[in-house]
Amino acid sequence: MTTNLIKNYIASKPLSGYKSQQQNNQTTIVNSPKKPMPNFDIQHELDNRTFIKPLKGKGRLVSGNIFNAPALMVKDGIYDAKALKHAIKGEANDHELGKINDIGLKLGGLAIAGYLFTRKQTPMTKGMEFVGLGSFLASMAIWPKIAIQLPAYLIHGVNVQKEYEDSFGRKKPFYQDPQFIPWDLYSDEEIQKIGNRLGVDKNIPNRRDAIQEKMKKIAIQNNTLWMLSAGFATPVMSALICNQAEPYLAKYLDNLQNKKADKILNNIDKYAKKYQDNAVSKDFEKIIALYKDKPIDKKLEKLILETFTNGIDLVTADSIEKDLKGIMHNQTFLINDDTVKSITKNINKKFENKNFNNETLKQILPDYDSLYKIFKDNNYLNTNIKKSDFKNITDKIILAVQKNVNNYNNNVPENQKLDLTYIKKLIISNKEKDHPIKTALKKFTGSMLNTTTIEKLRKAATIIDNFNAKKSVLDKYALIKVGSAPETVAANYWNNTSKSLLKMFGINQKELEKCGFDRNIMGNLVRDKIEKIVSNDSSYNTLMDSLAGKIAELDTLIKPSDISVPILKNTDNLNEAQKLALKSNYENQVDTIFNEFADSINELGFHKTSRSIVGINGNDNVGTLKNIQKSYVSDRLLGIKSSFLRLYNTLFYYRQISKRANELEPLNRYSREGKEELIEFGKQFTINGHSSDFANKFYMARNPHPSADNSPLEIKDGKVINKYYGKTQELIDIPNEKFFYQDIMRMLYETPLDKETEAIADKHLIKEELINYRNLILDKIGGEKNFAKPRHRIRPENKTGSELKFLLTGIATDELFYKAGQQAYNTNKWLKMFGTIGAVTLGITVLAQFFFGKTKSPEKKGN
Amino acid sequence: MILPIINNTNNKINFSADKGKEENKKALDYDHDTLLKNNFATRTRIGIDKLTNAATLYPAKGLKGSKNANFYEFLTMGTVPYLIGSGMLMGVFNAANKYFAPFAKTKASALGKKMALGVLFYGLAKNISKSFISKPIKMMTGIDTERPYAKVIYELPEDVNDTDITSIEYHKVFESVEFPRWDLLYGDEAKGEKRNYRYDKIAKRLGMGKDLKDSDQEVKSRIKEIIIKSSLAKNISSYLWAATGVALAFQQPWENFFNVMTFKFWKGKEFTNSIKSFGRNFVKSAKTLFKGEGTGINKHAGKILLGAAVLSSVLGVINAMSSSQKPSKVDAADVIKKDDRYVVN
Repeated sequence: MTTNLIKNYIASKPLSGYKSQQQNNQTTIVNSPKKPMPNFDIQHELDNRTFIKPLKGKGRLVSGNIFNAPALMVKDGIYDAKALKHAIKGEANDHELGKINDIGLKLGGLAIAGYLFTRKQTPMTKGMEFVGLGSFLASMAIWPKIAIQLPAYLIHGVNVQKEYEDSFGRKKPFYQDPQFIPWDLYSDEEIQKIGNRLGVDKNIPNRRDAIQEKMKKIAIQNNTLWMLSAGFATPVMSALICNQAEPYLAKYLDNLQNKKADKILNNIDKYAKKYQDNAVSKDFEKIIALYKDKPIDKKLEKLILETFTNGIDLVTADSIEKDLKGIMHNQTFLINDDTVKSITKNINKKFENKNFNNETLKQILPDYDSLYKIFKDNNYLNTNIKKSDFKNITDKIILAVQKNVNNYNNNVPENQKLDLTYIKKLIISNKEKDHPIKTALKKFTGSMLNTTTIEKLRKAATIIDNFNAKKSVLDKYALIKVGSAPETVAANYWNNTSKSLLKMFGINQKELEKCGFDRNIMGNLVRDKIEKIVSNDSSYNTLMDSLAGKIAELDTLIKPSDISVPILKNTDNLNEAQKLALKSNYENQVDTIFNEFADSINELGFHKTSRSIVGINGNDNVGTLKNIQKSYVSDRLLGIKSSFLRLYNTLFYYRQISKRANELEPLNRYSREGKEELIEFGKQFTINGHSSDFANKFYMARNPHPSADNSPLEIKDGKVINKYYGKTQELIDIPNEKFFYQDIMRMLYETPLDKETEAIADKHLIKEELINYRNLILDKIGGEKNFAKPRHRIRPENKTGSELKFLLTGIATDELFYKAGQQAYNTNKWLKMFGTIGAVTLGITVLAQFFFGKTKSPEKKGN
Repeated sequence: MILPIINNTNNKINFSADKGKEENKKALDYDHDTLLKNNFATRTRIGIDKLTNAATLYPAKGLKGSKNANFYEFLTMGTVPYLIGSGMLMGVFNAANKYFAPFAKTKASALGKKMALGVLFYGLAKNISKSFISKPIKMMTGIDTERPYAKVIYELPEDVNDTDITSIEYHKVFESVEFPRWDLLYGDEAKGEKRNYRYDKIAKRLGMGKDLKDSDQEVKSRIKEIIIKSSLAKNISSYLWAATGVALAFQQPWENFFNVMTFKFWKGKEFTNSIKSFGRNFVKSAKTLFKGEGTGINKHAGKILLGAAVLSSVLGVINAMSSSQKPSKVDAADVIKKDDRYVVN
């Protein structure tokens, strides 16, 4: 049934009007009769000021700016929440349902980012998932603002993305439906102003209509353009935002975790609580509950060993196992009913298939009862016996057998008599593990999981738990700082530095495209770049300054007072106390924690464990767990430092060749051809040399009969203009020329630093490390005993593991650039491709707007 | 100005400028708003029609700033950024990869292809999952929330020579909850249909009884509530399903598929293999998504996501089906709140 509301209203209208009626009695309407008023005359009503017109609209234009943006955001949020509530109840309107779609979109986006977050390993990649979502949503919102709204406003003075709020508080785009635009929300003044900007003739009739038509046209055109361009722009823009945001996020996270690591090192006890899982204690308590006062047999022993060594490295675990066995076993064995049964069974087994009939065996071998009697008579039953008692027991059993055999032999004819020696042999001549009696005696250990053992092991479990917790903290610290994993402080530093090297050396995308995919070509490019840079004073100084700055940066990220590389420090003239004072925070912590652990576990009788942790008497022996804990961090750091110090030294060497190649002392003895060879080798070696080159190669095809020409070398733009090298035929490696190796090493690492280079190193506080690094190379690699050419050493013999040589060599310069170059190339390539697409889309979108809003002027309309 | 209210359900006035000509008549598929069947054929036809218009006619009208451009066209054009954007998104992760060095290329393209697959699954899951709501509701209540109809629009002529002033739009009966096209659901008595036969069916399904006098009035408020609730459920759950689709695309097993993937359908054997591999790896990926890797939240993230999607659909249907609201029988007079001001004198 439908009701005519207007009729109803008129019919029920009280004479005094609604206002007074409300005050008097609200139920008047309901109670009043529902029939039309008599003599109703519409004209009369209209004349008598009762003209019915709608309430004045409450709609208004929304003017958003940065200042009220947060307030608007909150308001929109509240509206969305209400919309959701209404929708759940089934009371929402179309506008509210539209909002739900936005909520769904964001929710879905969060779900995707959240899921992918769990799939990523590092904070950075995890973080980028949300940056990705944020940038996508932002792009959807920003694109129409910067590519549509702003240009349209600048060109035409019309805000095509204007929003309004209708009488019901629903916010909508003003031009959303061109067939319904609430023009009345714009005041005449505003419209006229826009009209002036649009250049609409001021003297035309119905100017407002003409302006509105133009505004509407511009809006329709822009809305269409928006729909056409958004598809191209949004993903590209989002990707570009991510690309740009990545370094900032990386820097932020890097700072964050670096600070976290510093905190960890200074509050080890506090963080240890986090890692204190008491796993060993807990598992051991479970064992106690099950096996208290039970004999420690193989199974239980294995269980305890596994519990105490869970998660501990194999070498240390081995020591713990040995110590535990010593503590658990008292070397006694339990004799009981089962032992007797076992012996009976074992002895009988030995006589199987040995040509004895069962009757005979029954007579000669002691049965269970007689054996039981032997044990009982000798008070062995249900007691613990020592290994020394084994013989005694065996003798007693053999004696019984002997008696039986003799008895048997006395009652049978001569030809059926048994050989006693053979029988004895069958029983006792077995090896210990097959011995029928001894294996049975050993079957049940006399060691029990008694209170004394339990207490001792309980203490050990607690100590191991505490140690594990603290060690986990140290590991965590080491991992964050220098771990061989993505996004550690060291890894981030490495990536940043190698990326900035490309810039420092002026390598551009075009060059990367040519050289980026080949290490050797990249090496040649780097060589060219270096030669050019070092030939000029100012470019050399600038490069060295920024490189030294980068090298020094590592010390600000990982402070030498926290983690040091002792090998790069001057410690020769220091006394013990001074050396102790130089120990880094990390070293001190490791010392404290490991020594404490070793001491307390030693007191409980874990002597072998204690030794494998800290060495004999707590001395820091190579190969102890403590030493491994320390050297892991300093080795990682040394590898990084060496790589960049090597580059610094390489640049310095190239500089020497460029500036004073003819004055270099190690080259004095050579003719021009020899000098050219050595310099060339040095240049190639510093750029391409790998650690393996030191160990097994130092070959160069040279001229065995060099020209005697002693004219000075010719140098141009940092390059040697070779007169002989590369032009002579029939070259050969000269294996017995020991000076070749020595002079090259001296030329590269012994040539004293020149004033500028030293000053720059000094300025950035890397001089000490640089000098020590050069010396180490000369000592460790120059003193190499196992070198392919044994007597070619330049320093006294120096036993050095291949690991240190590897660390000192660092990364080969060409490889460093090759890797950094590839990454940079990929990023740039992508950026160029999509940056162009983005720029073109933006360009077309903006340009198109200049052609919008062309309407025929009203005067011409009629024509 | 007060417009006369005309019930134009059966009004077959054709505003085409030249009705008499035979060719003009033929060009018109519909001469009045017509309820359409909700079947695959119609949906496809509507889809193709909308897509072609969105890519050609509407942008042309819009860029010219036509006075006939309307909200429907603007909304329909919304598909364009969706499609182009999907393509671009795939491109962003794949187009540059071929220029990378071999190792980086393999790594990047495995990820890029997963991304592309993710975009595809997002779209598919989002659209298919809507039927997880609408199908059960249709089965249980007889209300087809997606029922389409063709709307005839009479446009203003662009100029004096413009005689083609009709245009067809495809809407859904329940597109607007405030103004559903109830009128289209009445039976045509001229064709011997009972006027309320559609409403009768729904009333019966909803358990409101048979042979109601005014079944339409009785069920309308219920239908409205169901439409709102199911629309909420569709909006929320479809995005969760879409997210699940993306998660599915990011599973390891797809890499096996990428190795044999080909779109060259004319190479029969390879193409068949490719399709088979897709099926195999779809199953494998679904399993890995469900099982998960690692520990804690990492292991269960897939389950949680899938669970959330399923739950949102189930809860959505349950919410839509449960009604606290009884059919409104209030007298229209009570609709006016006496305390409020409705008019100014």
